[in-house]
Amino acid sequence: MNARNDHTIETPRERQGRHKAMEAVKVLDTLREYAVNPPEAMEYFYELHRRYHCDMTPMHEGKTKVGTMCIQVPYEVIDALGAAPVRLCNGFYTDDEIGGEYLPSKSCPLVKATVGAFATDHFADAPDLVVTPTTCDQKTKATGIVEEMGYPVYEMEFPRVKESEESREYWRRSVRNFTKTLSKELKTKLTRRKLKASIQKVGYAQTLYHRLSALRKAELPPISGNDMFLVTNAFFFDKTEAWSAAVERLLIEMEARVKEGIGAARKRSPRIVYTGSPPIFPNLKVPQLIEMADAVIVADESCSSNRLFNDMVSVDEWFLYDMVDAVADRYLKGCTCPVFTRNDDRIRRIVELVKEFSADGVVYQAFAGCQVYEMEQRSVLAAMEKEGIPILYLESDYSPSQLGQLTTRVEAFVESLKSRKRRQ
Amino acid sequence: MKRIRRFLDLGNLRRFRAIVQLVTFVLLIYGAYFAIDLGSNMPVLSCGYDRQNGGMCYLLPLQHQLGRPLGMLFSMASIGILVGFVTFLLWFIVFNKAWCGFVCPLGTMQDWLTSLRKLFGIRYSSYNQTQFNRLKVIKYVLLVLLLLLPVAIGAGLIGGEWRAAFCQICPGRMITPLFVGDFSQWTIDFSSKTTMILTALGMVITGMFLAGSFVKKRFFCFFCPMSALQYSFSKFSILKLKKDGGKCTKCGDCYTVCDMQIKDIADDVQSRDILRDDCTLCMKCIAACPEEGCLQADIAGFTIFQSTKEGFSKRMQIDRPGGDDERA
Ligand code: SF4
Ligand code: SF4
Ligand code: SF4
Ligand code: SF4
Ligand code: SF4
Repeated sequence: MNARNDHTIETPRERQGRHKAMEAVKVLDTLREYAVNPPEAMEYFYELHRRYHCDMTPMHEGKTKVGTMCIQVPYEVIDALGAAPVRLCNGFYTDDEIGGEYLPSKSCPLVKATVGAFATDHFADAPDLVVTPTTCDQKTKATGIVEEMGYPVYEMEFPRVKESEESREYWRRSVRNFTKTLSKELKTKLTRRKLKASIQKVGYAQTLYHRLSALRKAELPPISGNDMFLVTNAFFFDKTEAWSAAVERLLIEMEARVKEGIGAARKRSPRIVYTGSPPIFPNLKVPQLIEMADAVIVADESCSSNRLFNDMVSVDEWFLYDMVDAVADRYLKGCTCPVFTRNDDRIRRIVELVKEFSADGVVYQAFAGCQVYEMEQRSVLAAMEKEGIPILYLESDYSPSQLGQLTTRVEAFVESLKSRKRRQ
Repeated sequence: MKRIRRFLDLGNLRRFRAIVQLVTFVLLIYGAYFAIDLGSNMPVLSCGYDRQNGGMCYLLPLQHQLGRPLGMLFSMASIGILVGFVTFLLWFIVFNKAWCGFVCPLGTMQDWLTSLRKLFGIRYSSYNQTQFNRLKVIKYVLLVLLLLLPVAIGAGLIGGEWRAAFCQICPGRMITPLFVGDFSQWTIDFSSKTTMILTALGMVITGMFLAGSFVKKRFFCFFCPMSALQYSFSKFSILKLKKDGGKCTKCGDCYTVCDMQIKDIADDVQSRDILRDDCTLCMKCIAACPEEGCLQADIAGFTIFQSTKEGFSKRMQIDRPGGDDERA
């Protein structure tokens, strides 16, 4: 036995790991405890999150890991070049606190937590290269900080206006440049065959997500919103093939459940569409509050879930550069990210989700410090009011402290939806 | 019913269209060999200079009919003109601009040139939005000229050599007869200065047609006066291209595949009737849209083809990972 294993005083890094593991385990345990009819096939995802976040088990050993700071980074391109895309958006309060030393205290907890993980180099799959698109201000500014910490960073220029043909061209060029640079960096040539295979691989995962989502339209949604977030969040770091296989199993179980009328909620549980700042494991604070208050999330409009899978690549002629452009389009055109000048698309999407999934109300969460979601609050609320859709707006962060107040508001909202339902 | 619906929505549009195009091409170009005659009022450029055609382009008779002395144009003798026009309209009203996407021989030939390009592995080129907006006016200018020139002849303002002036510059006149082994149109007509200029222009335009459609999908359709004429009546058609804006995510998939670069198909979330003047109703956009029921083709209110998630996955070959690598 060497001296290292003997010492009992915890290093700061070990403490960080322990705290993170505690956060993760707590969420997983609560989810298990409160689950109505927990699906068997979910075990894969519970176990996966535990392994990755508590045991720090790497998923992509032997591969170059390209860390992405946002969903706008084209996954298909990275995968086709033989590297592993790992999304670094972080949901740990422990990391948020560490990140607070590098960023203004009022910044977005997601960005702070991400920076915190960089500061301590605490990753199961440490990135060999970091790609940050210039989406929201905070991510954009975090780029410099991460670079100063000594990580190789690649900036992808992202337009803030979506409608114009110019921005489409601009983004296509960004993606082409990224493709070229990455291909040089990895010393691999991007081929038609490889990119097509990646598009199909990711497309298949998206198809599975869509099929799973569609089942949530059932009178009794077979899967809870929180489980769904675990599933979609797992895509951040899991191997795509493994993820798809697990979702296939889940689908079979869920299809059977819908036939048998087994649900992850009660018949009278109000149905919620979640929108706003993305719930990222283990920060499922608000989604958990919603479902513990006897509502069920049937759909969401957020970049850690729906937006990650919704839009699919469509190619007309399967030539290499046609495919690269088509991939680029997938990330820009359909995106409902609030960084864009206007948010009509986002509003239309929320309304459509409410209709399609027969939801009773919308919960809109903005992380304190997330300027873009905070700013869109007004227009979304106004639009929902016009449509007669009840909506609850919450501001929250990663800290466990304000739970009491949030709980009260969520419960009151769910109650009001219930009585509204009874009246109908 | 549900099974039929699903069968239609999952259909392989690409193959279906290729077959319809081939069959109608044979019908229109070689029809006379089989004693088929669909008349001379077809709403497509099925050229009248092809002696064996099975149905003829309406633009040729239209130009001739309008070119009568004015007195005659507004007399009973014009009943024939009216009948011709009504026939044209009837054909058109049933299939709307799908005549372009599925029947027009000149359109089909362009698609074949596109396939040839694909075979060479060459990428297509496209216009930018400014160019596109400028170009789309040309077909209306041509249509107005096509209607006014014959009237001007009738009124004695210009000479008879301007008769069927559009046909002189239309690539259909030179290319279509080639398919029945007739090279007689490949000459410059020196009988007058006008005919010389027009037929020489015809040669140039034919060259452009061949080269243009090789690099640019449906190159000629952007300029085609038949397209402009059709569009004037397309509101009355029973075949409709419809969009449900609420379901659209503006992902642009439809726009990417559109040979006619119609941006509205993706960006317009207000119009229910989404057919635009350049549209050839090829329905590629419907096949490429991943949103359930967002785009659809209706005939007299009955949906014949609509976008579905399942159909999308199937056509994009993503319903099974590692699907066969067919060059699409
Ligand atoms: S939550 Fe808001 S501030 Fe934070 S990363 Fe997302 S968009 Fe940016
Ligand atoms: S030359 Fe052109 S316009 Fe004239 S009949 Fe032939 S196809 Fe029609
Ligand atoms: S627009 Fe194209 S397909 Fe339509 S009639 Fe003209 S040439 Fe034919
Ligand atoms: S493909 Fe469908 S969802 Fe996408 S922009 Fe076109 S119509 Fe809208
Ligand atoms: S809008 Fe659709 S139907 Fe019309 S030309 Fe474009 S792809 Fe074809």
